[in-house]
Amino acid sequence: MVNESLLILILVVATALAFDFTNGFHDTGNAMATSIATGALGPKTAVTLSAVLNLVGAFLSTAVAATIAKGLVDAELVSLEIVFAGLVGGITWNLLTWLLGIPSSSSHALIGGVIGAMLAAVGSSGVEWKGVVSNVVLPAVLSPVIAGLVAGIGTWSVYRSTRGVSAERTDRGFRIGQIGSASLVSLAHGTNDAQKTMGIIFLALISYGSVGADETLPPVWVIASCAAAIALGTYLGGWRIIRTLGKGLVEIRSPQGMAAESSSAAIILLASHFGFSLSTTHVATGSILGSGLGKPGGEVRWRVALRMATAWVVTLPAAALVGAVAYGVTAGVGGLAGVLVVFVAMIAVAVLIWLRSRADVVSHDNVNDEWDGHVSTRRPATAGAPS
Amino acid sequence: MDGWLNVGALVKVLVFGIVAGAGLPALFAMGVRAQAVGAGTIGGQHLAGDRRPALTAVGYLCFALVGAAVVVGVLFVARDFIGHHTGWYLLGAEEK
Repeated sequence: MVNESLLILILVVATALAFDFTNGFHDTGNAMATSIATGALGPKTAVTLSAVLNLVGAFLSTAVAATIAKGLVDAELVSLEIVFAGLVGGITWNLLTWLLGIPSSSSHALIGGVIGAMLAAVGSSGVEWKGVVSNVVLPAVLSPVIAGLVAGIGTWSVYRSTRGVSAERTDRGFRIGQIGSASLVSLAHGTNDAQKTMGIIFLALISYGSVGADETLPPVWVIASCAAAIALGTYLGGWRIIRTLGKGLVEIRSPQGMAAESSSAAIILLASHFGFSLSTTHVATGSILGSGLGKPGGEVRWRVALRMATAWVVTLPAAALVGAVAYGVTAGVGGLAGVLVVFVAMIAVAVLIWLRSRADVVSHDNVNDEWDGHVSTRRPATAGAPS
Repeated sequence: MDGWLNVGALVKVLVFGIVAGAGLPALFAMGVRAQAVGAGTIGGQHLAGDRRPALTAVGYLCFALVGAAVVVGVLFVARDFIGHHTGWYLLGAEEK
């Protein structure tokens, strides 16, 4: 007889790696969108650099918390099925927002999924609502504002200092500067986000019993596979999201790009130092918005910003809903069969979303096309073959 | 940590965020400007006789400072890793 709980463990690990992968391509834009938009780096070069730095960053994590969503749900009540359903919620929401080209927070999607699964499993008592508000909701509201303010001040002083200097000279200088600032954001991302998935797999291994609860470091294969998954996702490049962030929100130039990325890097590193958990996506988006406001005569497309803000508000409840349904089905069918049914359903949804995305492909070829209000460039095929 | 929000830490993030996140690009911009003036290409025509090597050097100094800040940033990200593998605990890293 095949060991049923071992098979469940394998499915949970596979789902966690799948989430890590979506986390990678969903967040490529946070570090690289502005560098790609300003031509500081070629699209392919940018995603390759970001992927390598995410890989390195993932290996830099040494202490991985063995709890997922610590302080948000009752850790004693977390089961493998809840973690699994939460991951399914996170993946589904990440794929949907990717299809729409909306940079929403991967961490929020995961947290939402786990909270939803917990609500379905235990009810409201399993969720620590105060922790949710002070560790998730408040930082989400404040971090884009702070990042935007810092990037705005940075952009303003950059333009102030370089008045009279030829555009050619400033563009060249700041493109080089951008490479440094974007690299730092990528590295920080790898360190933070790959660690979340490592924590989940670690937790699953502990609950299965193959790793002792007193271990502080996950096995090397966990670190390596999480690092590979997030790097592969990053390399694939979430071009739809990169396009929205780099072209849609603000018409960005390299001095703004460098100011935005410096602000993101500084806020992300400072926040982790002072113990705030925040979303790279919220910080990066706030920074880019601020760089549009800080530039004399710069413009921000508020319609695009509003669309994003709406998606941010919806992320937690929507992922929670998917997580709750996923848990309902998993527990309703029960055992290995339940996990298997949800796993197959998730793959079906992923394939559907991917097929839908083929209708209007955004790739490294057209990611920088003129923004006409849409993520997709919707060129009729008869308009001439791309060179 | 009874409050909903650690306001003190938030203010620190904001203040240091402005110093590092806005100050460094501003310093970089000064470097770009110093080099432009140093090469005699500010505000219009390029005049070969207007070269000022001292300002060019100031420009490089600005870039070097920004570069050093990025190195500190990388070390900050990697501080636990470095501490764990070498025993040197930098930038507030703690032995675990």
